[in-house]
Amino acid sequence: MTDAHIAVGMLLILILAIFLGFPVAFTLMALGVGFGYYAYYDIGRMWRAYNRAVESGADTYTQLESWIGGFFNNRIFDLFVNQTYSVIQNDVLTAIPLFLFMGYIVERSNIVDRLFSTLYIATRRLPGSMAVAALVTCTLFATATGIVGAVVTLMGLLALPAMLKAKYDVRYATGVICAGGTLGILIPPSILLIVYAATSGISVVRMYAAALLPGLLLAGLYFVYVVSRAVLQPRLAPRPTKEDVGDYSTLQITWMMITSFVPLAFLILAVLGAILFGFATPSEAAAIGALGGLLLALAYRALTWQRLKESVYLTARTSAMVCWLFVGSATFASVFAYLGGQQLISDFVTGLDMSPLMFLIMAQIIIFILGWPLEWTEIIVIFIPIFMPLLPHFGIDPLFFGILVAVNLQTAFLSPPMAMSAYYLKGISPPYVKLTDIFLGMMPYMAIVILCMVIMYVFPGIVFWLPNAVYGG
Amino acid sequence: APAVLAQAPVTIKMQTSWPASDIWMDFARQYIERVEKMSGGRIKFELLPAGAVVGAFQVLDAVNDGVIDAAHTVPVYWYGKHKAASLFGTGPVFGGSATTMLAWFHQGGGKDLYRELTQEIMGLNLYGFYGFPMPAQPFGWFKNPVGTVGDINGLKYRTVGLAADLMQHMGMSVAQLPGGEIVPAMERGVIDAFEFNNPSSDIRFGSQDVAKNYILSSYHQASESFEFLFNKDVFDDLPEDLQAILEYSVEAASTANTALAMDHYSSDLAKLQNDHGVTVHRTSEEILAAQLEAWDKIIPTLEADPFMKRVLDSQREWVERVVFYELMNSADLALAYEHYFPGKLKL
Amino acid sequence: MLRYISFADDLSAWFGKVFAWGVMIMTLGVSYEVVVRYFFRAPTSWAFDLSYMLYGTLFMMAGAYTLSRDGHVRGDFIYRLWKPRTQAWLELVLYLIFFFPGVTALIFSGWKYAERSWRYMEVSSNSPAGVPIFQFKTVIVAAGILLFLQGVAQVFRCIVCIRTGEWVKAAEDVEELDKVLLETKSLDVLKSGSEAIDLPPGLVQPHEGRPDEKRDGDSR
Ligand code: NA
Ligand code: NA
Repeated sequence: MTDAHIAVGMLLILILAIFLGFPVAFTLMALGVGFGYYAYYDIGRMWRAYNRAVESGADTYTQLESWIGGFFNNRIFDLFVNQTYSVIQNDVLTAIPLFLFMGYIVERSNIVDRLFSTLYIATRRLPGSMAVAALVTCTLFATATGIVGAVVTLMGLLALPAMLKAKYDVRYATGVICAGGTLGILIPPSILLIVYAATSGISVVRMYAAALLPGLLLAGLYFVYVVSRAVLQPRLAPRPTKEDVGDYSTLQITWMMITSFVPLAFLILAVLGAILFGFATPSEAAAIGALGGLLLALAYRALTWQRLKESVYLTARTSAMVCWLFVGSATFASVFAYLGGQQLISDFVTGLDMSPLMFLIMAQIIIFILGWPLEWTEIIVIFIPIFMPLLPHFGIDPLFFGILVAVNLQTAFLSPPMAMSAYYLKGISPPYVKLTDIFLGMMPYMAIVILCMVIMYVFPGIVFWLPNAVYGG
Repeated sequence: APAVLAQAPVTIKMQTSWPASDIWMDFARQYIERVEKMSGGRIKFELLPAGAVVGAFQVLDAVNDGVIDAAHTVPVYWYGKHKAASLFGTGPVFGGSATTMLAWFHQGGGKDLYRELTQEIMGLNLYGFYGFPMPAQPFGWFKNPVGTVGDINGLKYRTVGLAADLMQHMGMSVAQLPGGEIVPAMERGVIDAFEFNNPSSDIRFGSQDVAKNYILSSYHQASESFEFLFNKDVFDDLPEDLQAILEYSVEAASTANTALAMDHYSSDLAKLQNDHGVTVHRTSEEILAAQLEAWDKIIPTLEADPFMKRVLDSQREWVERVVFYELMNSADLALAYEHYFPGKLKL
Repeated sequence: MLRYISFADDLSAWFGKVFAWGVMIMTLGVSYEVVVRYFFRAPTSWAFDLSYMLYGTLFMMAGAYTLSRDGHVRGDFIYRLWKPRTQAWLELVLYLIFFFPGVTALIFSGWKYAERSWRYMEVSSNSPAGVPIFQFKTVIVAAGILLFLQGVAQVFRCIVCIRTGEWVKAAEDVEELDKVLLETKSLDVLKSGSEAIDLPPGLVQPHEGRPDEKRDGDSR
């Protein structure tokens, strides 16, 4: 058995260990340090101090001390700390707590119900108007907070009862909320894209520019689907009567838009604009966004001491959840590469004689399948580094690959058994809404996600046009 | 002895502080090639770019701990641990070139002071050797030509090390940006100007896409050399002849690096001018004078540290004697150049 | 054992929450940097160092806090099907073979690393401001110690669970909005005095269980 085989064993043990349900960050850390001890095992180094102590005729205590010390004289420990330090001073990951903080503030800022009501009234003449309003609210809100669970549950409490009361079809109503609420991991400023950038070494600003149009494309496809089903099967989404909605002048609607839609849209545009047009680095834009979120919450008189505290503490916990994964994976990945595991996998895959398209499809299918049991954080931090070195061989742009992954991972929230969006929604729905209904409601959106990926493959300009236009080719 | 010859080759894992595509990786390869040939294959190298094991700025820690056996770097990357590191290559310019200062290192007492810093003051478990006297680093890339101190006042400028202190004293606002963000930041106005290192590194970096004025010659980093770091335990365990090969190959590579640099730096400069429409200037006398004045303000703060005072005294003493000879003795090369290639130089 | 668990939970939460406020300092500090850079052409020399130090400190120091609230991501789609007792046995073993070796290494080699930095009084090379970083490197050790102490509490949790068949919950704490909403099934938590902007009447979204509840949007 060569070292490379041991590395592959290390990966298999990792996958098994993940399914045991132990916190992944510490599983990675343990396997990295454990296999690293083997990888860096150096008998000369281990007994050097002891041998010197014996040669110099030191006393028994010193000899014993250097003998014990020998077991810890392994480079893996220094590598581990070095890697940990690289993670804690990583200026790309710095944006994570700031964007999370912005999200927690915005989700508590009381804007979402106002937004939904306004959009519902504004779109009342469209077929499936409530679903359209829910979709747009989800998209905007998901973009601003990026926290999927919060968006889905909030909309589940807000839009779902409204739709059910209006006699909307259960599957139709639940599907749009689950799918719309998940868009936040794709549309910038998404945490997923920061994590991908930190993992792959691509500039975050390019990732953001590249993800914007695909994000809007996917939201647009959802929109087309929602409207056309309402047109084709009007019984799914009965039209509201005047009494249901009330009568509003254009002026009233405009005022409502100005007080709900506009501030949130402005916040999002300010953050994205600052990044895309280079006025600020992503971390700086995130800080501005967090400040903007605070001001917005203040304006809506929603900024209580309690909520500020909640947001601050949750930011710390969620940041720790994401970033400790990096602490674990940094050492794991370098030991894996050091043992030659990466090389073995590369040799194996390149030996398969696949065409670039076949490789791309295979990679996306693997990620799709991983999305069933796992969450996006684990997939990006652990598995993307394994795909990354294979991309040049197949001539695939890592930026393009990353956006495909971000679109693909939408399905991780929508696919059973670990369809988090469905669970969130089920948790707050009335009892007659069955989990299977929610699953069935989400299925068409999984198909749309795949359609979106095909469109991106056929027209890669959707990904490349904006980053090239803004930052040059 | 046959016993030694029968041994398996020693593999030395060397990480650089440069990206895989940088020309300095080729410079490191020249060194490795010399060691491997001279040792008859008894030493093998595994050369890794920055980030392969640890980050560019972490190599000193990594060599010290033995995470990597050796590093190809510059001391200014660890000057956060001791500011004296910056005096070995990127300190004040008293009149000596990089060649003068590399000579100071080998012959003028620099080596002993370096040993004192790394071994006694910092207690590091490593050896460091110096080679390749780098051509002075350009003042950098600007959107508009700058000739006066007024032109650069308030410009947002990216640099590193003591040069950051220097430029701040000259009225520039210094920004620190990670390498990969310089070009987009420049394009979008986060910074107005920046310096990196040399025409070859700069062209690979895409500088010509964001600025068209390349200003050469400067006192901010005028006498730098590469630092070759070796873990002490790894080095001490080698037989004496291999130790000598590792050390003296630095001197051999120094010449090879210089030749490669002359060739590539100059042809890349021509490429910048001819293919990319870059205008090449020299830093004005006024700005150079202002740089010296700024150094004047920085030197007393450095000399507050007794060790740094001794290093600076030693350098001044060396430069005063040696550069007098160098300048008095060297023929006016510009005159000869002008004679044979008239009208090209615009000094 | 229960006393130690609640002691460790409190300790971890205390440190986690104190350093969590770093995000406010980051928000204000980095925003200040953007303002002075754009409007006064005078960037600070400390904002960059400040931001990554606060980020690193915040998430490292919150590691134990997150562990105490079971907030670290798990691949738990099989795990959650098991009985608590089975979960506890398995976790007990994994804490001993996975958790403690790694965390102990973090403390001891982290100490070696940080101690050297203290010896040099190391400063950041990112700016001329000479921002110290030795204290920042010490965060690795501090986070390791907190995790170790919390890890002991987690082991005790496993033992208690093996005995009683039930997990020991952490004390009441702030929760993700989705958890709160799932529990209360209402939007009340978001209620506030946000009557800054009047919405026309008739816009009340029907509320499961509380149809006549006065909502933010329909005041006046
Ligand atoms: Na899933
Ligand atoms: Na430079």
